[in-house]
Amino acid sequence: MLDTIATVASNTEIAPGYKLLTLNFNQAIHARAGQFAMLKAHDAFEPLLRRALAIYQVGGATQLSFLYQVMGRGTQALALLKPGGRVDALIPLGNGWAEFFDNQSAEKNPSSLAPIERAIVVAGGIGSASVLMWCEELRQKNIATQIFFGAASARVAQGCGLADFRALNMPLTLTTDDGSLGERGFVTAPLERFLRDGGNQQAAIYTCGPWVMMKRVAEIAEPFKLPCFASLEAPMGCGFGVCVGCVVAMKDADPKSYGAYKRVCTDGSIFPAERIQWEVAAMTH
Amino acid sequence: MAIQPHDTKVEVEVAGIKFNNPVLGASGTFGYGLEFAELIDLNRLGGFCTKGLSAQPLPGNIPARIVETHGGMLNAIGLQNIGARAFVDEKLPLLRRYDTRIIANVFGYSDEDYLEAIQMLNDGAGIAAYELNISCPNVKEGGIVIGSSPVAAARLTAKAKAIAARPLIVKLSPNVTDVKVLATAIVEAGADALSLINTLVGMSIDVNTRRPRLNYGTGGLSGPAIKPVAVRMVHEVASCVNVPLLGIGGIASTIDALEFIIAGASLVQIGTANYYDPTVTMKVIDGLSQYCASKNTSVKELVKSLVKD
Ligand SMILES: Cc1cc2nc3c(=O)[nH]c(=O)nc-3n(C[C@H](O)[C@H](O)[C@H](O)COP(=O)(O)OP(=O)(O)OC[C@H]3O[C@@H](n4cnc5c(N)ncnc54)[C@H](O)[C@@H]3O)c2cc1C
Ligand SMILES: Cc1cc2nc3c(=O)[nH]c(=O)nc-3n(C[C@H](O)[C@H](O)[C@H](O)COP(=O)(O)O)c2cc1C
Ligand code: FES
Repeated sequence: MLDTIATVASNTEIAPGYKLLTLNFNQAIHARAGQFAMLKAHDAFEPLLRRALAIYQVGGATQLSFLYQVMGRGTQALALLKPGGRVDALIPLGNGWAEFFDNQSAEKNPSSLAPIERAIVVAGGIGSASVLMWCEELRQKNIATQIFFGAASARVAQGCGLADFRALNMPLTLTTDDGSLGERGFVTAPLERFLRDGGNQQAAIYTCGPWVMMKRVAEIAEPFKLPCFASLEAPMGCGFGVCVGCVVAMKDADPKSYGAYKRVCTDGSIFPAERIQWEVAAMTH
Repeated sequence: MAIQPHDTKVEVEVAGIKFNNPVLGASGTFGYGLEFAELIDLNRLGGFCTKGLSAQPLPGNIPARIVETHGGMLNAIGLQNIGARAFVDEKLPLLRRYDTRIIANVFGYSDEDYLEAIQMLNDGAGIAAYELNISCPNVKEGGIVIGSSPVAAARLTAKAKAIAARPLIVKLSPNVTDVKVLATAIVEAGADALSLINTLVGMSIDVNTRRPRLNYGTGGLSGPAIKPVAVRMVHEVASCVNVPLLGIGGIASTIDALEFIIAGASLVQIGTANYYDPTVTMKVIDGLSQYCASKNTSVKELVKSLVKD
């Protein structure tokens, strides 16, 4: 973990409301797929808190990109950054997807029943930012991978990096809520069909997206007894474990005991879905 | 400019404890200290206050627990902590490797809880002092319930002082009509020092759901937004008690820290700023050294040096 000031190489619009921020660091960052950073425009006093963004792409040892949706004050301040601008960055943070892949990690996380022969990646909306690098890594590992990519509309799909996912040349099923591109409806519908039609052999599911989507993915995976891992979102105060603001409720702990809540930033952001008490939403969207 | 780690101009002594400089991490914003080992040189830090420790570990409140506001944030963490025993057994041995003053922040739902936690902490080698948190607004018992009654606060202070193996700092709440009444009662009951302020009770509503943004309903406001209130309270309390004060509330820069010192604080605690600027404590330590050098003064001389014409 490093607290540093990075320099903006570029900050380009991918689709209306979605931007790709590429940062140059003054030293090498050893980032793993699924990890994130806490970022803030260096010269912006307001808002105070840094924002969590997944590491989207690596452009060399000292260059990383972030794909983000321009929403409130923090991401609006990031959207104003120009090349040469400065960004406060705490990086890299979180556990990353690889922790839930091999035998070794299976000891720490009993639900990652290795060997995993196939992977299913379910990305919803800007949750895509957390899984692009993981899809690439799965391909390098020669793991047969099926991608499910859901977005609200064609514009959002574009903004969430659809072109980069297509460029991977991996099997990809696309849905949009309004039917403007791909299948109409939620991404969980084709996922369920796929599993029923036998796509579930020795597979692990990796998902990142809106809370309700991940909750539904976990429900779908359950009867198939598939290991399912979700990268969670929670409002973050610090990103490195000290505010205890970013918690999620754990299913396997007594609600009155110390372990009832875990921090998304340092205990996650990725958790086995079966451990999460999905009814207690960390985010209200 | 490189500054010597132990610049004598910024040294302070409070309740018999020597601090290399007056800059501490505030409770609940500094974890158990170790989380910062990768980010700052803990040996340069004046000290820090642990997350509120209770006799039994606590789960904390149901999320959402934090929400950002203008110039600050609201939190309702609900004292999630590993417990005093685990702190002594698991964290202290690692913390003892560092040359920094460790202040254990203590919390309970009742007087007995507080005393039990202090008993457990009395066993822990390496703790410099206790900070009695009678000002947490995010619990239904203990905390602010005790801290807003001069009688209850004085009673607990006296009991805690009687068993505490170390100096006792009592942390005041700003959510009272007259902080001077509380401060006086607590000092008369035996407190060695006072720290102030804890967070101000606030609320934020999501207009789409018409629900509070925090699951707990209300939360404690912290960050730069509360600094003027905190400086005023330190100034008021400095005028009515003669124990050292630890100033807290919205400190994010050297100038902020100096305001508290001039108003009457011997030590300062930095809270929320650590979240968005994890190395802020180091910057303020350097800044205080530079200020003292340029004005040819010392922190000791600056404490309670407000000019009154
Ligand atoms: C581990 C992690 C990785 C993320 N990766 C990405 C990414 O790669 N791309 C991307 O566009 N977004 C990502 N997000 C979500 C992103 O952090 C929020 O969209 C962003 O914080 C919103 O800030 P704002 O200033 O635009 O909104 P505001 O509404 O002004 O934010 C107010 C507060 O709420 C918090 N908040 C609001 N929305 C979210 C949210 N969805 N998740 C968490 N906190 C939120 C903010 O951090 C802030 O403290 C990630 C979140 C997490 C936890
Ligand atoms: C998330 C959070 C958790 C806190 N937890 C504690 C605590 O456990 N005990 C305590 O005495 N104060 C706690 N505080 C209060 C701080 O120590 C400090 O008094 C307050 O935040 C004001 O300082 P600041 O504006 O610099 O943050 C907490 C504050 C925050 C923001
Ligand atoms: S964001 Fe502060 S503990 Fe996770």
